[in-house]
Amino acid sequence: MRRLALALVFVVASAVPALAQGDAKAGQTVYEQKCLLCHGDKGDGKGPGAEHLVPKPRDFTKGLYKIRTSSNKTPFDQDLHKIVTDGMPGTSMPSWAVLPERDRANLVAYLKTFAPDVFKEAPKKLELPKDVASSAESIKRGKEMFEAIECHKCHGTEGRADGPSRSELKDEWGNPIAPANLTKRWTFRGGSTRTDIATRLANGVLGTPMPAFLDSVEKPEDIWHLTNFILSLGPERPTYATLITVGAVSEAIPDDPNAEFWKKLTGQYVALMGQVIVDPRNFNPAIDLVAVRAVYSDKEVAFHLTWDDPTESKGDGKQTFGDAIELQFPPQAAAGTERPYFLMGDANDAVYLLRWEQGKGVGEASGNGPTKVAALTGGEATGKAVFSNGHYRLVMKRPLAAKGEGRTSFQPAQFTPVAFHAWDGGAGETGPKMSLTSWYYLRLEEPQSNRKFIIPPVVALLTLAAMILVVRAANRTR
Amino acid sequence: MRKTLTTGAAIALVSGAAMWLAATAGAQGGGTIEADVKYGGAPQVEKIKVNKDTEKCGTEAVIEKVVVGGNKGLANAVVSVPGAKGATAAKGVIDQHGCKFVPHVVVMQPGELEVKNSDDILHNLHTYSTANPSINKAQPKFKKTMTEKLEKPEFVKVTCDVHSWMLGWVAVVPGPAGVTNADGVVKIENVPAGKQKVEVWHETLGKMEKEVDVKAGAVTKVSFEMKGK
Repeated sequence: MRRLALALVFVVASAVPALAQGDAKAGQTVYEQKCLLCHGDKGDGKGPGAEHLVPKPRDFTKGLYKIRTSSNKTPFDQDLHKIVTDGMPGTSMPSWAVLPERDRANLVAYLKTFAPDVFKEAPKKLELPKDVASSAESIKRGKEMFEAIECHKCHGTEGRADGPSRSELKDEWGNPIAPANLTKRWTFRGGSTRTDIATRLANGVLGTPMPAFLDSVEKPEDIWHLTNFILSLGPERPTYATLITVGAVSEAIPDDPNAEFWKKLTGQYVALMGQVIVDPRNFNPAIDLVAVRAVYSDKEVAFHLTWDDPTESKGDGKQTFGDAIELQFPPQAAAGTERPYFLMGDANDAVYLLRWEQGKGVGEASGNGPTKVAALTGGEATGKAVFSNGHYRLVMKRPLAAKGEGRTSFQPAQFTPVAFHAWDGGAGETGPKMSLTSWYYLRLEEPQSNRKFIIPPVVALLTLAAMILVVRAANRTR
Repeated sequence: MRKTLTTGAAIALVSGAAMWLAATAGAQGGGTIEADVKYGGAPQVEKIKVNKDTEKCGTEAVIEKVVVGGNKGLANAVVSVPGAKGATAAKGVIDQHGCKFVPHVVVMQPGELEVKNSDDILHNLHTYSTANPSINKAQPKFKKTMTEKLEKPEFVKVTCDVHSWMLGWVAVVPGPAGVTNADGVVKIENVPAGKQKVEVWHETLGKMEKEVDVKAGAVTKVSFEMKGK
């Protein structure tokens, strides 16, 4: 009997990788130093820092945890430990890998004391169906299932979190909650590995509208086909640009943002942050990424910008506003590294703004601060935007040489400072409430000259002639 | 001697059988409670515009928080006799139909709940419970029925996150129970005779209880006047 008990202990212990049993009392000390500010002293997610956070910090007293590898409500200690260690992408929860392992184990033990009833029940391991490797067929089947189970209702037809139910979604606490943008898997709360995604699909995300699909797909392996399809929707992570390169072209630049021409160019990704320097601050910016494709010809420069926005908004002028995006440049190239203040300039140094707004089109403006923007008239800027499935594509064009005061001129091989601003008007962003970047640099590639096709053959011919001469001279002396 | 033994055994058997019969007859011969639930306040009905799945859901959704019928009768109230044994354990059935939970309030014994989807579009079943494990399962169009377990007595709120206006309740109650009709009336049969505690529960107006003396084979009337919260 004792042997059997011992064997049982072994089986149980080996089924789940061992995690050092934490000391809840020691965990409390760590909690009070590191976690209390957001999660609150009672663990109810109502710490002093919680006010501005979206999504809200977890309320531990309900014992509801989004990210579980268990099939029941109770998470494994490892699940909690992983979130503490890795943080939660796309939220304010940072990685606490800096804490010693012991502290993290103690924290997990302390967190469990906030919902003792939930942790009375042992977690049960979720059994995933047998893995199906990704292939064209698997992705195709995944897409079929994606449509059959209507993932688009929340996540949108192309996965950009723009589904018709998006604005109605609430979490267990009644707070509005956004569906995941499936094209940006680096923001998935519970990680973006194959197993992470399949697990979220299978057992849902507790405390959120995301339901469990394990028993609600046609065949169990559809979980993996769906996973493979979701993985095909976007890159693992974007390759962020450090310098925006504007390519030289000799042909005409198309106005249509959907033209084949633009698809051949590689997107240069720029990350945007919320504006939190002046009021009204934007702690939860809607737009966090813009892809830039840019070219110039001997006449004009063109910027092709793409970004995600769940709604196409012209705005009612009260709660919603027109969606907008703009590029910011210093009006003239300054010697050295001096640039106007990055936040739309200041009283002394103006910035030049090339702007597109939904319903208004492309325009030019001069900024002396975020609330002091004056339109520049008589310009030649043009553009066209299209919106589909939660995604904007825009082309803005302008002559290379500036026309009139306050506008930037572009010259090849010169480094020109550039910054980006974006507004999701549908989410109430307008004026200083926006997403922005600091200064980047933009550089127009040198025009491709014909010299590289002429000089090497000429050199080769001359060398050949010289060789022939040498051979002849040698023959003659003999 | 032998005869006495046989007779004794026979008497014992007969009397035992008689007692068993009497006991069974007692349980079956329970009384009926006719409850009449009234509410003096105003009905609370919210209407919202529907912007998707209008073919199945219609263009307007009605959220019925308090439904008051003729003669101040309160509909959708659950009347139960939680202390009484012997209720038949029928499966609870709820249908997601026309983007509504039908019926709005389901009464069931602790056990299984059958969840239907008659709409041919995606719904999910999201329960808000503390005694029972919370459920959040997708019910795509091809998943016509699902069976869930609700084994502990509780009034469980159910929603569908795809259609945020959808709201239903599952009353998991031990003992005989029923839901009031549009006139606020419900009949509960097979209630054991004797003093019984009768409980009323309403999703918005809360709970009330009364003690009733149930007589076998007779209808006992009881009325409740719910107070607004």
